[in-house]
Amino acid sequence: MTSIAELMTHDHRSCDHEFAAAETLAARKDWPAATKALNRFTSSLETHFQAEEQELFPRFEAATGMTQGPTQVMRGEHVEMRATLERLASALENQDADEFAGEAETLLIMMQQHNMKEENILYPMCDTRLGAQSEAVVGNLSHRLAREHAA
Amino acid sequence: MSSANPGLAYQDTPPLSAPLRFFLTAPLFGLAAGLLLLFDAELLSSRWTPGALAVVHLFAAGFMLQVMLGALLQILPVAAGAALPAPRRIAATTHALLALGAASLSLGLGAGIPAAIVTGAMLLAGGLIAFLVSSLIALAKAAPNHGASRTPRDLRLALAGLTVATLLGTLLAFALGRGLALPIDLPTAVDMHAVWAWMGWGGILLAATSWVVVPMFQITPSYPADFTRVWSPATLALLVLWSICMISGLSTGALLCGIGLLIAAAAFSLQTLRLQMRSRRGVPDAPFRAFRLAMLALLASLGVLLLAQFHDGSQWPVLAGVLILHGTFVGTISAMLYKIVPFLAWLNLTQSGVRAPNVKKLLPDPPVRRQLQLHAVALGALCAAAVIPALAPLAGVLIVAEFSWLFVNLVQVVREWHRASTL
Repeated sequence: MTSIAELMTHDHRSCDHEFAAAETLAARKDWPAATKALNRFTSSLETHFQAEEQELFPRFEAATGMTQGPTQVMRGEHVEMRATLERLASALENQDADEFAGEAETLLIMMQQHNMKEENILYPMCDTRLGAQSEAVVGNLSHRLAREHAA
Repeated sequence: MSSANPGLAYQDTPPLSAPLRFFLTAPLFGLAAGLLLLFDAELLSSRWTPGALAVVHLFAAGFMLQVMLGALLQILPVAAGAALPAPRRIAATTHALLALGAASLSLGLGAGIPAAIVTGAMLLAGGLIAFLVSSLIALAKAAPNHGASRTPRDLRLALAGLTVATLLGTLLAFALGRGLALPIDLPTAVDMHAVWAWMGWGGILLAATSWVVVPMFQITPSYPADFTRVWSPATLALLVLWSICMISGLSTGALLCGIGLLIAAAAFSLQTLRLQMRSRRGVPDAPFRAFRLAMLALLASLGVLLLAQFHDGSQWPVLAGVLILHGTFVGTISAMLYKIVPFLAWLNLTQSGVRAPNVKKLLPDPPVRRQLQLHAVALGALCAAAVIPALAPLAGVLIVAEFSWLFVNLVQVVREWHRASTL
């Protein structure tokens, strides 16, 4: 069976690829294509965040009783990343390649240190603590993520 | 933050000043190494000249070790869920002891002052023990790791390598400074200290960091799972075997293990270069290119080391040392510093509720690119000086410029951070 860690880590990597596409197109100043790529990336990342916030984190919190713990911190980091995504969109609107590059670099480091914590610590904790529920959670998460990627 | 949710909170991120103090003083040791080269044209004529020993320790203990420990303060919570207890105090203590120790040891080796060698080694050992003990406590408290990443395990292995290198270095300092009788001859002990420091500590730390840094920040495929599962334990096992052969005088065994270590290092370098070729980021930036150059320097150093096994000549060990210390480690470390320092400044501002300028406003690309280009030129000059020692002063000028510029670039981030936080 696929673990929560495997499924969600795989989705991180596929979001990374969409990020890289948007970054490359913006550096080439291909604004229409960059806008499309950024929209795709934003939508994938939002789906990932929502899958965590609405499915994974509540299950983890219910199973462990930790509501102010790691999941709260991860939610806070999602807020930061959403704010940076908005700045990326407005840099594209202004066709400002330098601004986009700077915000993109900031988002990438922010996102990867966030992913590292999830992949190395939180997801393995979820796999361990959710026990028998894991299979159902993996099913629900893959359903949500697959809907996004099919769209 | 309770230990129930280790490493996940911003609160577990050490204060900005903790890693920053290491990052800001480290380039000054590189600068000092450049000054020594500038004023001693004979310095690179052999690896055993007092000046060469001083330069090696200015690079290794002054520059590399400081940045590596500063970065570990930051990466242990994020990658291994291990937050150091009292990070501010540990950072201040370790930093002061390391900086004084590296300065004293280098002075002692360069000027032939036994008391300074011993004092330097004891200060360094004191700083390292403080760091090692607190990181062991943090790692023991961290939740057991069930993730797929080998980074947390390999960070532990690197710390084990550092412990051995420290022990050997301290013994050597007492042998040189106090006439302590070693059970093995001095050159063998020096080789063991150097190989443990480079491979057991530096190499395994670089690999452990690369397992996450290369795929995540350069957006490449992951290292193959079998490769990361085996690499660090195999390297450590080879190091132990090699050491046993060296101590027991089994020269064939030592040669075979040594070749095994060269193959391990080559495999790491080739694997990293292969992944970097498949990066999805469209325009490789200057730090990315510097990291790639560092991997090529590593490969070149292995070729030179192999050559040195079969061909006498004092220039080969010097050239290999240049390619490893300056080419591989200064290169990768500079590349990582340019990513870490602006991000930490950004994170600090964001956490303080300040609207932070993005990382490229905190440190724009052009000075980074030019400084890293200068690093490449300085590496070329150092390699030339390893073969033609009279060129050492030229290399010295370039090294002084390289590290001064690195220092200025990092200070620039701090100035921007200060400006944004007082707005």
